[in-house]
Amino acid sequence: MSFTPKTQPYNGKINAVTLGTGDQAIIIGGQNVLPFYTFDAPIEHAPKIGVEVSDLAGEWTAPEIRAFYEGCVTMADYAKKAETMPGADFICLHFESADPNGANRSVEECVADAKAVAEAVSKPIAVMGCKNIEKDGELFSKIAEALQGKNILVLSARSEDYKTVGASVALAYGQKVGAETADDINLAKQLNIMLKGLTVPSGSIVMNVGTAAVGYGYEYVASTLDRVRTAALAQSDADLQMPIVAPVSPDTWSVKESVATEEDAPEWGSQEERAIDMEVATAAANLTGGADAVIMRHPAAVATIRQFITELV
Amino acid sequence: MALKGLDIFKLSPKKNCKECGSPTCMAFCMKVAQGAVKIEKCPYFSPEAMAQLSEATAPPMKTITVGDGLKLGGETVLFRHEKTLVSKNLYAVSVDTGMAPEAVDAALEAMKVVDYERIGERMYVEMVFCANKGNDPAAYAELVKKAAATGRTLILECWDEACAKAALEVCKAGKPILDGATPENYAAMSSLATAAGVTLGVWAENLSDLYDTVKKLEAAGNKNLVLDVTGKTAKETLANAVLVRRTALKDGDRSFGYPSIVNLTRFAKGNARLQTAYAAMFTEKYGSIIVMDTMTYAQALPLYGLRQNIFTDPQKPMKVESKIYPLNGADENSPCALTVDFALTYFLVSGELERSNCPVNLLITDASGMSVLTAWAAGKFSSSSIKKFFDENDIENKIKSRTLIIPGKVAVMKGEIQEKLPGWNVVVGPTEAVQLPKYMKDKEYEAAAKAAQAEAAAKAAAAAPAQEAKELTFEELLEKVPKIEVVDTGVVYKGHNPDAQTFVTIGERIHCISPSIRKAMDERDPGPILKRAAEQIAAGATYLDVNIGPAEKDGPERMMWAVQLLQQNFNNVPLALDTANKKAIEAGIKVYNRTNGKPIVNSADAGSRISNIDLAAANDAIVIALCSADGIAKDNEERMRHCHNMLERGLSLGMEATDLWFDPLFLVVKGMQDKQMDVLNAIKLFSDEGLKSTGGLSNNSNGAPKNLRPIMDATMVAMAMMQGLTSAIVNPCDQRLMETVKTCDIIKNHVLYSDSYVEL
Repeated sequence: MSFTPKTQPYNGKINAVTLGTGDQAIIIGGQNVLPFYTFDAPIEHAPKIGVEVSDLAGEWTAPEIRAFYEGCVTMADYAKKAETMPGADFICLHFESADPNGANRSVEECVADAKAVAEAVSKPIAVMGCKNIEKDGELFSKIAEALQGKNILVLSARSEDYKTVGASVALAYGQKVGAETADDINLAKQLNIMLKGLTVPSGSIVMNVGTAAVGYGYEYVASTLDRVRTAALAQSDADLQMPIVAPVSPDTWSVKESVATEEDAPEWGSQEERAIDMEVATAAANLTGGADAVIMRHPAAVATIRQFITELV
Repeated sequence: MALKGLDIFKLSPKKNCKECGSPTCMAFCMKVAQGAVKIEKCPYFSPEAMAQLSEATAPPMKTITVGDGLKLGGETVLFRHEKTLVSKNLYAVSVDTGMAPEAVDAALEAMKVVDYERIGERMYVEMVFCANKGNDPAAYAELVKKAAATGRTLILECWDEACAKAALEVCKAGKPILDGATPENYAAMSSLATAAGVTLGVWAENLSDLYDTVKKLEAAGNKNLVLDVTGKTAKETLANAVLVRRTALKDGDRSFGYPSIVNLTRFAKGNARLQTAYAAMFTEKYGSIIVMDTMTYAQALPLYGLRQNIFTDPQKPMKVESKIYPLNGADENSPCALTVDFALTYFLVSGELERSNCPVNLLITDASGMSVLTAWAAGKFSSSSIKKFFDENDIENKIKSRTLIIPGKVAVMKGEIQEKLPGWNVVVGPTEAVQLPKYMKDKEYEAAAKAAQAEAAAKAAAAAPAQEAKELTFEELLEKVPKIEVVDTGVVYKGHNPDAQTFVTIGERIHCISPSIRKAMDERDPGPILKRAAEQIAAGATYLDVNIGPAEKDGPERMMWAVQLLQQNFNNVPLALDTANKKAIEAGIKVYNRTNGKPIVNSADAGSRISNIDLAAANDAIVIALCSADGIAKDNEERMRHCHNMLERGLSLGMEATDLWFDPLFLVVKGMQDKQMDVLNAIKLFSDEGLKSTGGLSNNSNGAPKNLRPIMDATMVAMAMMQGLTSAIVNPCDQRLMETVKTCDIIKNHVLYSDSYVEL
């Protein structure tokens, strides 16, 4: 008796969500198998990589990143350059400096930046805020309005602000919206139900179900991804079939392994290499668990994950 | 792997005849599973059942031990949340005979550089993969010798019999893996491995050939195997790894139930970053041994961190060592910040403190890996545990600063800590870790420390000449209890027959977690306590639970007061005494009136609180016995083991079995939905043995919206009563729940039906 592998495609399917417009548009999600399980069924749309461009990118110190963005001053400069990064599928604008407890840049300035970027680049755009609920609410709404027709992704609506963000971003301006929860599958499902309750179409929602750098409580992320995917595919739970976008770089670039200088930790070796591997391992773990797109920063890490995806799909 | 008690039980005669010397068949089977008793002691196990047993209980995946006790495999689930993953994957660095000798030396030296500790675990490259590229036995033996000198466990990738023989001669004492069997040479390689007493690695072009080769090896009697599932590409290798594991665990085909080797150097040679990415993937997806070109710190830090996360038991929180962690160059003059040993708390708090760039001594106390509030509520993070930590670590002498910042979430402990640690200025810090950088940078604690100091000085000045604190006798304590006034609440307790079969509800509303009750307990103010008692009794509660909090200071007085207050006002309503303070429970029982039933000690467990069973036995009380030890039980096997441990302890101390009320530990649906049926099945197992059960049933609906909780609780109680639950700790003011309980008692024929049964 010889071995015949049993394949396991599911009836449940992840929603295919389009970002951007024209020939640069991308599709995330769409598969009916676990990540990279091509032996169960073909995967039509490979996972995507978004390149993070922060309005604080000027403060990034990693030498290879500095070299890559040499001469860039404005956010549009950075975005234009990021678009050429080998492996990049979309650009993710990160408005960190809008934080009222930080630089507190005005919404108008941020919107102007976003507009300039939109005019300069042709790849799809995602937007991340500063984590301040009130400021993000206003920022997201204004950017969604300014970039109407660009089919951008706004990250994210949370249970505290899903009404304002969902209503403006997805309903009023027809953009895509991320639903963000922290390692809680029940809340992830509930937030999707509430967004749908506002009449946001399922196909306009993606999820961020929680992030962490590997080593830093990543077990919660891993199990949430496993459980969300099992519910979506095996149980055909339509309220969890949204594709998942995992912002990897903001976490991995702030842990000790990436931040400690070579003087701080001489035995650890090159700081930049550590940060790259931290980003690579965390992105690979997320993609293996269920992320349909990851947001990354370093050109070398992006190139590595691009090859990783290409080899596996 | 040992047989499982519950599996044996399924095939047992279930006569409970006691001829084997155990009280029940279940207890007997549990002992058999632990190896304490031979199965032949039971005269009624049929030979067919015995045969079936050995077939049915073979584990789906073998545990293979290599080297100096490195364990591989033994997994029972595909995803960690289903139960837990048991054997972490191991990493190996590859050397081969094609490399120049200097290159081999350099590779082995570089490998040894990575060796560090992270959360109590040594992180290093456990294995060296020695690939034979030629057919020169001497050259291969030379390479293997070098690799063996590192002290790491070896994997010998070698398809040539003569070379393999030479290599084994050099290193077989170190229990390497001979990764050399193919569909062509498996017979010879298998005899080599068997003769040397080592594990055999099997590889084939495709899964079908691999499967056939394993079948042949098994038929020849060799089941000490690992499967090299490496394919030509990453894609093929992932498919192999997943299919092999899935076939073993999901389809129960044990021929693929062996650990795996994934060799990244075959399809990602020379690309360290890509290997990091693949290693992360195979750590999550079914690589038991992952072979790489190198393991630098840059690769190790994320990969070992990931592995530690993935292989953490989901039911047991990750703990960090309890000690002083000086941050940002802190010295003895830097202020101290205190928190618990839950790994996530530690990472969050230490990360934020580091971000502040302010020197600070982070003090991590042993709180059984619980978060701040959970530990506080369970009495694991208290002024006593903190005092103990200070004593054991000699903080007084090691640190000169006297500023101690405590988590904002336990601001209530400030006074108690201040009392236990005179000379320290206890300051309440922020409630969330993210607020720490600002808090530290602005030195907010300095003013607070000064205030604390002034306050302490004022207190010291005002205090009467110091009195030696001595333990009061029972009479002296009784003296201190305020006189009880009987007031008319308009509610009468109807009495309770302890022998009745009806469901026992234990009202949970007198609990110190409620601020009004805490205040009333502190001030000995009867009003709020009587009000809640009256509500619960009017709603039909059988027992009332009295939680007086950790009550480290005046526990005995508090409990005596509360017991007398409630019993004198409500016709000796029976009570469950609920506190971590044993003296308080003892004192409470001394003034307790047993007319309507024995007092209940709430609660014992099979871990650190097992001595509460002794307390109950000594005082002829009922005890709630939580079937858990260190964390939530993984499965019913573990629950029943705890149950029988506690049962035997109680019986040996002369308790009646029915005075131990076993608590399966109700789990929250929002978060542990997949474990609910386990809990219900455990109740059935208690009931099958004639044991009583109880538990905090409403925990199932924790975190659910208010309007849903009664629906969930009522449904849960009905399902649990069907399984044989005899009692529950509930909110009796929940009308839907109480009506459900009454209806279940009718259907179970415990109460005679009448049209008015709900009102009775």
